[in-house]
Amino acid sequence: MPKLIIDQRSIEVPAGTKVIAAAEKLGIMIPRFCYHPGLGSFGACRMCAVKFLEGPVKGIEMSCMEDARDGMVVSTTDPEAMEFRQYVIEWLMMHHPLDCPVCDEGGHCLLQDETVSGGHGRRRYLGHKRTYHDQYLGVFVQHEMNRCIHCWRCRNFYQGFAGYRDYGAMQIGNRMYFGRYEDGPLESPFAGNIIDLCPTGVLTDKPCRFVGRRWDFERAPSLCLHCSLGCNTTGSARYRQMWRQEGRFNEMVNGYFICDRGRYGFAYESHPERPRRARVAGLEVAWAEAIQTAAEKLSQIAATAGPAAVACLGSARSSLETQATLQRFCRALGWSEPRYFSVPSQERQVKAAIARLEAPLAVSLREIETADFVLVVGADPVNEAPMLALALRQAWLKGGAVAVLDPRPVFLPFEFEHLPLAPGDLEAALEALTAGAGGTDLLAGGSPWPLLPKIAALGRRLTQTQRPVIVCGTGIVRESTPGLAADLVLRLREAGLNAGLFYLLPGANAFGAGLLSPAGEGLTPLMEDLETGAVKALMVVENDPFWDYPDRGRLVRALDKLELLVALDYLPSPTVQRADIVFPTLTLFERNHSSFVNQEGRLQLAPPVHLGGMPMAQISPEKHPPRTFLSHIPGGEPRTPGEILAELAAAMPAPVTLPGDDLWDWLSRKNPVFANIVSLFESPPGARLIPEAVPAGTFSPAAAPAAAERPPDYLELLLVDLIFGTEELASYSKHIQPAEEPPRLRMHPADAAKLRLSSGDRVALRLLGGTLEVDLQVAENMAPGVLVLPRHRQLNWRLAPDYRVMVAYGDIVKVEA
Amino acid sequence: MSTHSGCTCQTAAPISPEIMTKVDAIINRHKDQAGALMPVLQEVQEAVGYLPPAVQERIATALNIQGSEVFGVMSFYSMYTWKPKGKYVIRLCESPPCHVANAENMLHAVQQELGIGEGETTADGLFTLELTACLGVCEVAPAMQINEVVIGNLTAAKIKQTLADYRAGKVPDYKQLPYSTKDFRKYQQSPADLILLDNVGVIDPTKLEDYLAKGGYATLKKVITTMTPEAVVEEVKTSGLRGRGGAGFPTGLKWSFTRPLPTPKYVICNADEGEPGTIKDRYLMEGDPHKVLEGMAIAGFAVGASKGFIYVRGEYYLSKLRLNQAIEQARAKGYLGEKLSGTDFSFDIEVRSGFGCYICGEETALIESIEGKRGYPRMKPPFPGVAGLWHQPTIVNNVESLASVPAILEKGGTWYKALGTPDTTGTKIYQIIGHVKTPQIVEVPAGLTLRELIDTYGGGLRPGSKFKMCQTGGASAGLVTAAALDTPIDYGSMSKVGGALGSGTMLVMDESVCAVDFIRSVAQFFRHESCGQCTPCREGTPRLLETMTRICQGRGKMEDLDFMERLAGVLTDASFCPLGQTAAQPMMSALKNFRREFEEHIQEKKCRAGVCKLG
Ligand SMILES: Cc1cc2nc3c(=O)[nH]c(=O)nc-3n(C[C@H](O)[C@H](O)[C@H](O)COP(=O)(O)O)c2cc1C
Ligand code: SF4
Ligand code: SF4
Ligand code: SF4
Ligand code: FES
Ligand code: FES
Repeated sequence: MPKLIIDQRSIEVPAGTKVIAAAEKLGIMIPRFCYHPGLGSFGACRMCAVKFLEGPVKGIEMSCMEDARDGMVVSTTDPEAMEFRQYVIEWLMMHHPLDCPVCDEGGHCLLQDETVSGGHGRRRYLGHKRTYHDQYLGVFVQHEMNRCIHCWRCRNFYQGFAGYRDYGAMQIGNRMYFGRYEDGPLESPFAGNIIDLCPTGVLTDKPCRFVGRRWDFERAPSLCLHCSLGCNTTGSARYRQMWRQEGRFNEMVNGYFICDRGRYGFAYESHPERPRRARVAGLEVAWAEAIQTAAEKLSQIAATAGPAAVACLGSARSSLETQATLQRFCRALGWSEPRYFSVPSQERQVKAAIARLEAPLAVSLREIETADFVLVVGADPVNEAPMLALALRQAWLKGGAVAVLDPRPVFLPFEFEHLPLAPGDLEAALEALTAGAGGTDLLAGGSPWPLLPKIAALGRRLTQTQRPVIVCGTGIVRESTPGLAADLVLRLREAGLNAGLFYLLPGANAFGAGLLSPAGEGLTPLMEDLETGAVKALMVVENDPFWDYPDRGRLVRALDKLELLVALDYLPSPTVQRADIVFPTLTLFERNHSSFVNQEGRLQLAPPVHLGGMPMAQISPEKHPPRTFLSHIPGGEPRTPGEILAELAAAMPAPVTLPGDDLWDWLSRKNPVFANIVSLFESPPGARLIPEAVPAGTFSPAAAPAAAERPPDYLELLLVDLIFGTEELASYSKHIQPAEEPPRLRMHPADAAKLRLSSGDRVALRLLGGTLEVDLQVAENMAPGVLVLPRHRQLNWRLAPDYRVMVAYGDIVKVEA
Repeated sequence: MSTHSGCTCQTAAPISPEIMTKVDAIINRHKDQAGALMPVLQEVQEAVGYLPPAVQERIATALNIQGSEVFGVMSFYSMYTWKPKGKYVIRLCESPPCHVANAENMLHAVQQELGIGEGETTADGLFTLELTACLGVCEVAPAMQINEVVIGNLTAAKIKQTLADYRAGKVPDYKQLPYSTKDFRKYQQSPADLILLDNVGVIDPTKLEDYLAKGGYATLKKVITTMTPEAVVEEVKTSGLRGRGGAGFPTGLKWSFTRPLPTPKYVICNADEGEPGTIKDRYLMEGDPHKVLEGMAIAGFAVGASKGFIYVRGEYYLSKLRLNQAIEQARAKGYLGEKLSGTDFSFDIEVRSGFGCYICGEETALIESIEGKRGYPRMKPPFPGVAGLWHQPTIVNNVESLASVPAILEKGGTWYKALGTPDTTGTKIYQIIGHVKTPQIVEVPAGLTLRELIDTYGGGLRPGSKFKMCQTGGASAGLVTAAALDTPIDYGSMSKVGGALGSGTMLVMDESVCAVDFIRSVAQFFRHESCGQCTPCREGTPRLLETMTRICQGRGKMEDLDFMERLAGVLTDASFCPLGQTAAQPMMSALKNFRREFEEHIQEKKCRAGVCKLG
């Protein structure tokens, strides 16, 4: 660990740390433009010059280019270094417009800051300023090229870090242009990061343009709920509404960056139809009246039909506080245990995964970046957990290899090996790899499976690595697949490799929901209980079965049998619309602290960004605060589900007080993993809620590896995610909606040929619940035997009994125009 | 002041299907080649005349890259064009050696003759006029190139005549010309034996037999059949050969770093020759291409490479032609290719072309360019010897360095070392240009004095003029005055007097030259050639030009001198690569040697040479 002195203070840093980063640890911010801790050194802007007084390097050098070394004595304030930096900033300002007042970056502009701190205040250049044409870059990013100081950050992120190439540098010398080949939306779903990175006002946040200066916003650390990774963000609100999300550094999760779904998905928070008042039978009523009515009706049904006739449905998107309070509430009232998933197979998959995630195996998103081999099984990173794709790319950039076993036409922004296996074959492949890692010669049995040699080759490479990670999805795989992935990891560890395990889950807090769901087979599926009439009253807490239940017809019929439907939510969902009683709840941005557990069991805390209430823009068309004085926040009625449940309990004819002790204590008595929460506030990366147990593998005897049997003349329908358009919360965001691609059905050319279909055809899919029409895209890089259909907002896809159905050839027909 | 764009300002004209068929054929020929973009763009431009958006998009799709990458590369190199041009593109040189030879008047002459301005095309679609940086033909300055053909020693009358000939369809074919400028054998020769230029002007460069008759490829055969690679490296080390590309790094030492590294490795011959005033490599490539190939093959054997690239500047059409012919011949006769002379050593060479970009002479930028990218210098370390082309170990050597190798291996390092000075061993090709009677090149043992070079080989100053200064080594080096005339021209001695050996070019100027105006012209060159990667060079070089222009126009202030000195200091310390680091050297040395002239321009609005139009 080299030890050096910077501005008379000494510091020891890990070998390989740049001087600029070492200074930052001391709280000394050396001016910089091209350097960014997430992107590394580039050496182009020459803004970070410091003077090396003693040691292995002498004189003026760039602090971002020099590794910290023993004996260095560095001055950041040496007059020579300061003069040097003054020149650089003067040059950068030569062509820069002097119109900060009309620039959206003003107030949080690195160029402003460094112009002032660099001491450049007098203009000596008398020539013309360089001007450029701006481009249309899509709905997220605004382009104002005249402000460019050619620091390269945008290109280094866009092409280098993220691996997309439609945006880059053109022209030469001081005519250099950063943009696209022609006007058009940026193709990368990570493009928004260049807004955060651009040190000037060239690339700004379009939806938030001219909404306020940085100091006008209420800002707080927050979390992204748009997939299970739990990326960290900073939220900005003004006039009682969220305007902007930026990436926030978390050394274990997302690093510095986030995806565009996470950046722009927040606008569900200010959806114009968001429930703001309590409602009974479709009419807005006083809050107390709604509580009273709900309490009466619920207790009445419990009294007449028994407590088990009242059921509660929580969700995988609620905070852990909400999920746990719901369970406590049900127990206090003697009702049956709450469910958290409307789709039983989803619940079983989640439970299967978290049951196997033990501390020694679990790796974090950032740790994937250091893997030398990543095997992705049954997951489509860009569409299911976008930032995973960038973590995989970092591993690849460091020399690691990535292989994907998945039936879908998976795209990743780097070179990887893709074996398009049908979901059924994923298990056989995992079993084969596990057997192979245990020494079995996979090819000895002469299996007729044509892909087996490839899998065997993959297995050989896998066992030659040192730090492999197995990533396993829970979207399209069988329920036993997560367990097989864990077995493979254990086998690799037995073979002496430092293997890690990384699951993806369906929902920002699916982990919490899984932890609280009853173990084993669980309860009777909710739908059956509704159909048999066993459940007569349903209280849905921040869940919308209309969103994810695959069989809309069955759902409607089941709900029709209910005597009472109570909904607590912040989304204007179909469930809320048909509920007899509605209680509006708060989003994570408003008023309360909430915690979420990501897919690796990391509990993270989101403080409120603002107090909530009706957005000013929805009250006053001029977007100006009305000049009236009120003692309350207009539209501020929504509460947390916890508060609502407590009020309900207290309003019961036989009032129940929810125990006053700490929720966390209560939880840790139930499950020891919750004891880890104590450290949450002490460790910024969040606390891990996973057992420390030393895991042991139980391996099934290696059967002869073979492809799963598939009925002929059938295709397996896979309902899948897309980056935009399928995730529930973001689909309510007006910023995301225009970026959605039209949904398409995808199939393999071999299947298309058999069905005489080709790309662009309009296809009718006859499913049990009705017929769905969708455009077809034939894709080479996917498995034959499957149909890939996005669960897209714009598609009426909810026509199947389950997420996994077989569709007969005869039920896939071309629609003639 | 124009407004710059990505690609949005491009003219979109419909492209005929026949043209697209041609484009596709070119793409298909190169598709599987690594770094195919540059060769594809060059051939398509040659076939179509320009690269309209539809063609760019076709190339992007076929090579599976983005439009912004295609345009990003095109717009980096000055010879690509995305707008239609005239049948004949006139590129008139404005770099310092041509500038002091009156290039500005030549521009007026062409403009008057054609009635168009810079960047414009005549109404009949015949001529487009462009200004360019050094064409590498400074011995015939002022010069221009019309398509592939060089027309030098321009006068107003010659311009008139040439344009009339072109209009009348009397257009020379560069392929039929023996040389692009002059016959080396007509120059004043040195009494010493030639080892580099020995064959030039003696053999027919298009005939392999001629080269063989002179003992060609015998050394290669001897080396690969009787020596170990380590012994070859040792021999080159013994010779003391220092790289002739300008930096003077010991060649044997460079090779010894790469030798032990794992394969694949590459040899690159740097034939970009973009340093203003530098013309020597062209004589070697046009006059004795096989010697360059033989040198490369020996280098390949020494470091363990089996593939070589020659990166030739785009303007050297005849060099490319001769090299490609020579490679074909050598392959056919087994001097290149698999298992040479029955040994395990295989070596092949590919010619890649630059396209009008000085920075691509810098070895790492050159590597990026071969990879098909924008030619940006890379961060060093790692040096190319460790991680170069496609991040594999790569040695980059100048043409002259590599052409010295066969003789060293033939006659021994000790023999070579005895030639020249201890500082700079062997023979060196000097270029004497500017205001001398007979600008030319000459090969002599290193270490003759500037005076000898001027008087013996340059024929003395042109009649009636008096020596004022000499810019040594190329555009980025210092100016020396008469006090330095007796300094031997080698690396060490030259740098002691504030000059440099550089590429071995000496631009002699008489009193007709205004030091201030000359520095403005140098500043113009660097502004034009800055690649734009780092701030000091991208913004500092235009700043220098802007200030110098003002001084030349009589609008300078005394503070400007102080300002420029400091600016130069930062430019030197702060730039990313040697281009920026040296861009202000000439100005610094002019301020030292000719400060009075600057002051006269500013305070007295006076230009002694009568060049600047003040106020
Ligand atoms: C801006 C710049 C331009 C250069 N141009 C050339 C050139 O045209 N030809 C050349 O041989 N070397 C050129 N060099 C030097 C090369 O970077 C490199 O040092 C040389 O090719 C090494 O070969 P050598 O050791 O045989 O001299 C240039 C360097 C710089 C910084
Ligand atoms: S980018 Fe920064 S310095 Fe430039 S105008 Fe905007 S706020 Fe001002
Ligand atoms: S657009 Fe912004 S990030 Fe990109 S080079 Fe210009 S200033 Fe830097
Ligand atoms: S990767 Fe997931 S958690 Fe991260 S920003 Fe995107 S949607 Fe949000
Ligand atoms: S921050 Fe160091 S050179 Fe740009
Ligand atoms: S050809 Fe004009 S300067 Fe070299």
